[in-house]
Amino acid sequence: MDSAQLTAFTQTLAQGLLTGGLYALIGTGLSLIFGVMKVINFAHGDFLAIGMFITLALFRAFHLDPYLSLLVAAPVGFALGYAIQRFVLARLGDRLSEASMLATLGLGLIISNTLLLTFGAQPQNINVPYAIQTVQLGGVQLSIPLIVAGLGTLASIGGLNYLLYRTELGRAIRATAQNPLGAELQGVKTTNIQAIVFGLGVAFAAIAGVLLMPLLYAFPTVGENYTTKAFIVTVLGGLGNLPGAVVGGLVLGGIESLGAFYISNNYRDAYGLVAFLLVLLLKPEGLFGKTVKRV
Amino acid sequence: MTASVTPARPRALTFGNVWISLALIAVMAVYPLLFGKSMNFGVSTLIFAGLAMSWNLLGGWAGQTSLGHAALLGIGAYTMTILATPERVPAFLGGPLAPWWGALIGMALAALLALVWGSLTFRLRGSYFTLSTIAVALVIRLVAINSDWTGGSEGLFMPELPRFLGLDLFDRQAEYWLAFAFVILTLIITHAVRRSRLGYALQAVREDEDGARALGIDPTRMKVIAFVISAVLTALGGSLYAIYLQAFEPHTLLELPISVQIALMAIIGGRGSIQGPAIGAILLAVFGEVFRTVFANANLLIYGVLILAVTLYAPDGITGLFTRGGRKLGTAR
Repeated sequence: MDSAQLTAFTQTLAQGLLTGGLYALIGTGLSLIFGVMKVINFAHGDFLAIGMFITLALFRAFHLDPYLSLLVAAPVGFALGYAIQRFVLARLGDRLSEASMLATLGLGLIISNTLLLTFGAQPQNINVPYAIQTVQLGGVQLSIPLIVAGLGTLASIGGLNYLLYRTELGRAIRATAQNPLGAELQGVKTTNIQAIVFGLGVAFAAIAGVLLMPLLYAFPTVGENYTTKAFIVTVLGGLGNLPGAVVGGLVLGGIESLGAFYISNNYRDAYGLVAFLLVLLLKPEGLFGKTVKRV
Repeated sequence: MTASVTPARPRALTFGNVWISLALIAVMAVYPLLFGKSMNFGVSTLIFAGLAMSWNLLGGWAGQTSLGHAALLGIGAYTMTILATPERVPAFLGGPLAPWWGALIGMALAALLALVWGSLTFRLRGSYFTLSTIAVALVIRLVAINSDWTGGSEGLFMPELPRFLGLDLFDRQAEYWLAFAFVILTLIITHAVRRSRLGYALQAVREDEDGARALGIDPTRMKVIAFVISAVLTALGGSLYAIYLQAFEPHTLLELPISVQIALMAIIGGRGSIQGPAIGAILLAVFGEVFRTVFANANLLIYGVLILAVTLYAPDGITGLFTRGGRKLGTAR
């Protein structure tokens, strides 16, 4: 491999890993929700779309810098998720696994079609001067929004880690995930914890949406693609396995980027799907899991 | 779960169900006389009614929620169209095939796919199967978009077709009666499955897989059989749909929303009952038509609202609200 080929490889891999960081962020939210409540959130990508459109609307209305909309999108996402768990999913009772899938599927359709009625089907983007600027890092050129996205992902996942393992709330969340009844007996208000967890998961999706907005066009059904990505990431890492979701995201980003570069760009979305099917069939507990968590 | 006192026993066969089917058939038979002007609506509604009932053989009776049926629909549509087009038909066949042979080959291919797909994925329980259906369907869609023999992302046009039993296949009236026959076929098969060993085994597997296994039922085998029947009928519906559309592309025919639509029609209508899926399809089509001017292409909003309402307030679907049988088939868990 000569130096030009090596540079191309590093460039491709670096871009893939940064995109993979965003996948990790999306997947972590999904995996967190699954880990605590055994709910597969089919509306996950649509929450990401909400983040994108909040950014778009604030930019159009106030010319707000896209990254500042994080201050709006993350709390809105949290509140939305909290309310959905509290008022919809919590009422499904013991039919949870199947019914929650259908309920979130319905919520996703409601979100994407409401966005369609509000913003129209036309793909829209925002023009910020730094969106097309790049930085040279050790021979690799990377666009600024992609680097910000990578940093945002690191910060969010670091923050979640701190919350889960260093705070009293995190202890309550982990207890609820391990044994809801036991946690309840110890005085943890599990209905509240579950709503917080769903809120966190949705907030993560909304944050990912904000971080993606300078990179992509927003359109109402953009979420569909990302729901699939989130499934792939979480299954690669093992459903409910948070560090697994991070690695799964990076792996997916890397596979897509390298596959698109070396095999065929047309099949970019297929590499992840094939990896996903192989893991589902051969190692359903995920690439790194020891315990089988069959739903 | 709450303890149920008596185990759910399959109800004795009553005429209640058959009467509903006959009423449904009567409505479908009268439609062209009353609404002869809106045959487009009639044909597409009937095709989707049949597709929803085909879906339900797997989704309702076997309890396996597939969100990948668009792929099977696509196999039926693509196989028939490719084999009927002189420029596309593989050389060794020596010329275009009549659409009915194409449809049969499409059904065979769908059966084969379902056999392999089901044997591999039914080892996984619950949501894993659903996730795998999404992935398989998306891979098939990507192949259709990126291959030459499928017409790529531009899709296919229906060529001239020979007459079928003296019927012009591009006449909406003829298409309506073909779709009508398709719905009746799915109805008959559903009725037959319900009273067969397979039907009881499927219900047993759905209610308690381990319990069924203990009774000597092979759950994977039963689910695969249900999937194959469902796939064959869906492919047949796909061939009809292709004739109805006359031109189709992967972005409309093979997308996830089509799979979701078929599944939600069945679930909203009532997956535990025989006619529920068809009734769901008809209701949703009527809703879509009524609100078309209000929502334009956001018509899936209605699906979202209804499925949310159904999961919250009517877990057995709309028909489940009216029939005790539907309720019993749907909830015991």
